[in-house]
Amino acid sequence: MINIIVCVKQILDPEMPPGKFKIDPESNKVIPPEGIPLVVSPFDEQAVEAALRIKEQCGAKITVVTVGESSAVNAVKHSLAMGADEGIVVEHIIEGYDSLLTAYILTKAIEEIVAYDLIICGREAADWGSGQVGSIIAESLGIPVVARTRKIEVMDSRLKVEHIIEDGDESLELPMPAVITVSYEIGQARIPTGWGVISAARKKIPSWSLEDIGVDLSQIGDTSSRIKLLKLFTPTRERGCQIIEGKTAAEAAANLALRLREAKVI
Amino acid sequence: MEPTKFDAVVAGAGPAGCAAAYALAKAGLEVLVIERGKFPGAKNMFGGMLCGSVLAQLIPNFWEEAPLERYITRHVITFLSREDSFSIDFQSPSFGKPPYNGYSVLRAKFDKWLAGKVEEAGAIIVPGLLVEDLLWDGNQVVGVKAGGEDFPASVVIAADGVNSLLAQKAGLAEELSTEYVSLGVKELIQLPSEIIQERFNLEDDEGVTQLFDGFCTRGMHGGGFLYTNKESLSLGIVIQLSALRRMGVKPADLLEEFKSHPGVRNLIKGGTVEEYSAHLVPNAGINKVPMLYKDGFLVVGDAAGLVLTTGITLDGASFAFASGMAAAETVKLAKQNGDPSRKTLCNYEKLLKESFVLRDLETFKHSQFFLDNPRLYTTYPELICNLSRGLFTNDGKPRKRLWQLARTEMGRQKLSILHVAVDGFLGRRAI
Ligand SMILES: Cc1cc2nc3c(=O)[nH]c(=O)nc-3n(C[C@H](O)[C@H](O)[C@H](O)COP(=O)(O)OP(=O)(O)OC[C@H]3O[C@@H](n4cnc5c(N)ncnc54)[C@H](O)[C@@H]3O)c2cc1C
Repeated sequence: MINIIVCVKQILDPEMPPGKFKIDPESNKVIPPEGIPLVVSPFDEQAVEAALRIKEQCGAKITVVTVGESSAVNAVKHSLAMGADEGIVVEHIIEGYDSLLTAYILTKAIEEIVAYDLIICGREAADWGSGQVGSIIAESLGIPVVARTRKIEVMDSRLKVEHIIEDGDESLELPMPAVITVSYEIGQARIPTGWGVISAARKKIPSWSLEDIGVDLSQIGDTSSRIKLLKLFTPTRERGCQIIEGKTAAEAAANLALRLREAKVI
Repeated sequence: MEPTKFDAVVAGAGPAGCAAAYALAKAGLEVLVIERGKFPGAKNMFGGMLCGSVLAQLIPNFWEEAPLERYITRHVITFLSREDSFSIDFQSPSFGKPPYNGYSVLRAKFDKWLAGKVEEAGAIIVPGLLVEDLLWDGNQVVGVKAGGEDFPASVVIAADGVNSLLAQKAGLAEELSTEYVSLGVKELIQLPSEIIQERFNLEDDEGVTQLFDGFCTRGMHGGGFLYTNKESLSLGIVIQLSALRRMGVKPADLLEEFKSHPGVRNLIKGGTVEEYSAHLVPNAGINKVPMLYKDGFLVVGDAAGLVLTTGITLDGASFAFASGMAAAETVKLAKQNGDPSRKTLCNYEKLLKESFVLRDLETFKHSQFFLDNPRLYTTYPELICNLSRGLFTNDGKPRKRLWQLARTEMGRQKLSILHVAVDGFLGRRAI
């Protein structure tokens, strides 16, 4: 049996109605929509899924870690409801996009957990999409990392993984402990069962502070000295609808073809 | 060993289900709530005004923490003819002091908050799961089936809203016929709070409810509504479903027509529509309240048709809270007695009969019959508007006394004194 740690992040629901998504151009910040709960980033759900498949294949203890506000406990609960064994919330609000800071805190939390053979992250968080946290954690822990993985197999103390590259994929073998970030090709995350939600609700989930895990923020400097968000805006989408007329369906189709040719679409 | 059987499983995390679950969890019982929405409140809507007095019995001073929009200090009733409008306007600062008389509320936020309180109290909520069926042991309901899993319980509380699937599965109710239910459609229209306050003569967090009778329903049984929220208006219409079917009108078209009425247009000017939603509401009052319990089973809130509609009042939330609380009392008793059969559960009906729930529905039992009268939606609002126009018109012609104007207008509307007398009598009895 191996020990797996999965890092998950709570984000704005990507499926919320677009009209609810608002930003404040003054402060370059997203205004959290009222009444719509945050969800686990879909890629991180898939990371949990990948861990669960390993557990089913060869047995594993899965611990989920998240850094966020106190409501991030719901991200852990969701993962537990899917089938993870334990979860930890590190309470600290990170302003959006500082991957180094996130990875630093997660690394400290992972060191505190001590026992780990495999660390799985999502390919990237579905909000800022930086995709750096997994690699920085590996670097900090001094262990190998494979990003954008579509398949993970555990063979004794080694891992066999399929890593996606631009024009195909590579099969790689690496020793454990290691960090793997999973791509969405790993497959759909399972929906928690009702009883899964019930047993997750009954679990006590410890909450750690930065002091608990020995994080010294002055160690890594100020976020704003590393990253400046220049402009945050919602793209304007222009939609025009033209109805192509014709006496018969065939004529309408011919007119449509003509118009498409004019527009150099076909 | 974790318990695998609950003292109560509640289907639905609306006001009724949450009230029941909250009271039970506070009393230390094992409660499970199953809600089909992605989160409690996700798909729920209502007009807008929540009367707080019942909820305050459950969660004292809830207004200090609940996500409420505005407390209502002003009530307007507006009669519409094709172009004109006539309003009665009541405003009272006494409604503006705690415990407030009523609040405008947006359900997605409010239900989510309430469900959070239920979890804090110790109940477990499983969202995103639809209760499909009941589990039986002979004639006794012993749990529910959802998503292919079984959830055993001593008592199942059906809080699954209008046209309750579970009440039907339990054999207590039939599928609701279109005469006994109305369809509400509503838009959430965004407006800055300063504009709302100025436009509706409100201070700070004060709010207004405005009900519309007349042209907006094209003569169908129903009416329009407007509620001010913090930074939006809830604007919509509620119409009896059978009438809507008969007339073959699309509710969205009616809503557009309503929005373009001169008496409404300016109230929503400059606003952007953020959301469109539709929901059914039971309207048959006491006449269609089903048997409320059976062995191991209770029906609460809209699922039991516990909604008061008098034409001026549409209150379902208080009835949902109160019935949920009565159900909780009854389940506690069942736990004490170790008997979840109908012998104990009949106490639920007794509690409702003692409280305002069944008493109000009894008091207003004739209102539906009265409200079915098409004259209420055509003749009278037009009469009032035309009469006012006559009264205020300065056209250089000799003026008439009010009574003369009224007689002429009644003649034009083909309304006899007898009609008025009958309608007056029925109205006195009904509302
Ligand atoms: C247009 C309109 C305007 C209204 N205006 C007002 C008003 O101003 N004031 C007022 O007090 N009342 C108003 N009402 C009535 C009020 O909304 C209801 O009476 C009240 O919401 C009833 O609460 P409930 O908990 O019984 O049902 P609901 O609020 O309908 O809650 C039922 C819950 O059960 C869930 N559910 C349903 N089936 C299942 C299932 N099979 N499995 C799991 N979950 C399920 C639903 O998702 C929902 O969350 C209005 C209603 C409408 C439609």
